[in-house]
Amino acid sequence: MSGLAHKIYLFSLVTITVFVFIYLAVYGTDYYLTDHDQRFFHDQNELLKPGGFIGHGAGIIGALLMTVGVFGYMARKRFRSLARLGVLKHWLEFHIFLCSLGPVLVLYHTAFKFGGLVAISFWSMVAVVVSGIIGRFIYLQIPRTIEGRAMSMNELNIKKAKFNADLKTQFSLDSAFVELVNASTISEDDLYKGTFFSKILKRLRFEKQQFKLINTELRTRKIPKSKEREILRFVRAEIVLGRRIAWLTTMQNYLRYWHVLHLPFALIMLIIMIVHIIIALLFGSTWIF
Amino acid sequence: MRKGLRYCLFVLFLISTLQVFSQLSPGELSSAHAHLEGMKNCTSCHILGEKETTSKCLECHTEIQQLINKKEGYHASTEVNGKKCAECHGEHFGRDFQITRFDKESFDHNLTGYQLEGKHRKITCVDCHKSALIQEKISQKKGETFLGLGTECLACHTDFHQNTLSANCTSCHNQNTFRPATGFNHSTTKFALIGKHKALECAACHKTSQKTGKEFQQFAGIEFESCTSCHKDVHENKFGNDCRKCHNEFSFNEVKSISRFNHNQTDFPLLGKHQSVNCKTCHKTSLTKALKHTRCTDCHSDYHEQQFVKKGISPDCKECHTVKGFSPSNFTIEEHKRTHFPLEGSHTATPCFVCHKTENRWNFANKGTRCIDCHENFHKDVLAVKYLPENDCKSCHSTSVWSEIQFDHNQTKFKLEGKHKEINCRNCHFSDQNQTLTQQFTNLSPSCEDCHEDTHFKQFEVNKRTECRRCHTSSNWKPEEFNHSNARFKLDGEHVGLDCVQCHKPTDGLIHNYIIYKFEDITCAACH
Repeated sequence: MSGLAHKIYLFSLVTITVFVFIYLAVYGTDYYLTDHDQRFFHDQNELLKPGGFIGHGAGIIGALLMTVGVFGYMARKRFRSLARLGVLKHWLEFHIFLCSLGPVLVLYHTAFKFGGLVAISFWSMVAVVVSGIIGRFIYLQIPRTIEGRAMSMNELNIKKAKFNADLKTQFSLDSAFVELVNASTISEDDLYKGTFFSKILKRLRFEKQQFKLINTELRTRKIPKSKEREILRFVRAEIVLGRRIAWLTTMQNYLRYWHVLHLPFALIMLIIMIVHIIIALLFGSTWIF
Repeated sequence: MRKGLRYCLFVLFLISTLQVFSQLSPGELSSAHAHLEGMKNCTSCHILGEKETTSKCLECHTEIQQLINKKEGYHASTEVNGKKCAECHGEHFGRDFQITRFDKESFDHNLTGYQLEGKHRKITCVDCHKSALIQEKISQKKGETFLGLGTECLACHTDFHQNTLSANCTSCHNQNTFRPATGFNHSTTKFALIGKHKALECAACHKTSQKTGKEFQQFAGIEFESCTSCHKDVHENKFGNDCRKCHNEFSFNEVKSISRFNHNQTDFPLLGKHQSVNCKTCHKTSLTKALKHTRCTDCHSDYHEQQFVKKGISPDCKECHTVKGFSPSNFTIEEHKRTHFPLEGSHTATPCFVCHKTENRWNFANKGTRCIDCHENFHKDVLAVKYLPENDCKSCHSTSVWSEIQFDHNQTKFKLEGKHKEINCRNCHFSDQNQTLTQQFTNLSPSCEDCHEDTHFKQFEVNKRTECRRCHTSSNWKPEEFNHSNARFKLDGEHVGLDCVQCHKPTDGLIHNYIIYKFEDITCAACH
């Protein structure tokens, strides 16, 4: 898949998710803003209630999407026979798509009424989604190869050295500037003190200040604008790389811990969802079937 | 996978420990069904494998099932028929959820089989559909249902008549207003309203009182057989209790059959002239209005204008008059004798009007007790005052007979003797000259010839006067005083025994013949 095709692919996935979210939100705004005990009398109740045509359909489709998204991605990762089927990164992206659109549909299936046993499923789903977002953040903090494989520290150090060299050779920048850039990619021990979030914030604030300093320094060298932008992009990539190198161990640990959380929530969600479906079937809720 | 299985078991453990199975319900039940909360009760309303709950609903709500079976009530209407309960009645929306909700303004109550009319259209649902009025035993809680009301009026309304009238209120009342009872027709009762009864307010006969601690207006059980059941018998049962014999419903005063009315049953029986008097003469305004009747003057005016007032009080007419007529009066002579002027003599025979009626009007004012107060002094100044002192007739007359004179003629210069005592005064004191009665009491001559006629045609006249007393006395006309011996021709011999007429013959052929007593020739030859 070319870069453009991938972008179109990602754009399409995001667009679908956002569209469905917004469309249903707009379509059912009045209904969803109505008090729960008044919805029965709402004109859209028959459509948008959890057992309604749209509401129930959203639940069924959302559940299916999540089931496929979870088990498909799990299968791709765990079964060797599927290891060569597509790029894992794309699977993850599709997993994220399905497990984003699915919860969106489930969210509308609940009609924003969170109670009972199935609420555990829902909040588990929310937990999975939120943890997925966090996981995605952690995942992104670990530099990977184009196939999605995590890079080792050595590989990263080599890459960073190449960055420095490129700054001197490709952009003909002096050592002082390179040092300035290197100063922005200091190891975590130099900065990290405090809580997890405060550390992150401190780091990002530091990097921002450094980037501004680098930008100012770069302007004194009277480099053409187009080249200046390229250098800045290059520098930003190096700063990010430096950050990721600094956070690598931590993020790898977080990712491990994250897996321990993400999956149980998904399982809880799925089990209760199954119970919910069984009960629904027991009480005759068969949607269009 | 073992790891995944562990997760599953962990999750199930977590769920079981959290007792979340009790949370399978999609939402809290409404307060009406709160007692059905919990997993064990799911099938109380739901049928496994079926979405439909209507049959389960109706298992509990039997009253609705019964109504549907009977095709009565809203649930049997065309609007509801064929619908499932859950289409209208939601559940699992929380304790405060209204299972039964509809647009009360636009709800067609006719669908319930009970058409709202009149004021029923203006009141709110809860005015009727409230727990206090729900009498039927139904599965739903009172106050949360529209069922259970009877359609009969008394199901909601208090029986104002307190079970004294029919329970079918609409036979008299409509739904617009309780008062007046427009559907009520008094003619359908045993007491049809006639005349003024029609114009009466109901409350005039149907009194309001307190019964069982409540306001109660009596309509049933009112006695009406007799008018006196309602009306006061102003006659105090003198005429019986059937007022309609005389009165009717149009007017108490318009007595329908006066000819049949027996006035003698009243305190004032009609007697005498009263019997022929028109009712209106006395009962001017109303026949039934009580009239004072203890005194005649209560009706009659005092003709005598208080002429009989004594000490400020007029005697009643009946002391002198009767109902047979004002005249004659029953004022007797005896009673008159007890007045200041006792009737005596001719007065007792004199008609009242002679003294008491002047100019066609009776007058009993005290005219005085003297004769002159009534009688004219006939003698005027002809009679000497000394014989008529102070015009008192009684000095000569009495009340017995006018002509009976009690006058002592001896006190005059002409004492009455002989026949003079016997003759009427008129003979001497009155004369009818030229048909004019002339009286004379003074300057009358004591000479006989002034009164008496000289039947001897002046045969015994001496000096142009004839002295009758030489021969006659006042006892009779016989010549008792005459002595023939004193005459020129003295009687002797056979002459003594002769009748006078044998010698004294009457004249013949004269207008007035007379006996010749005095002869110019007294010789024998004159006779023999």
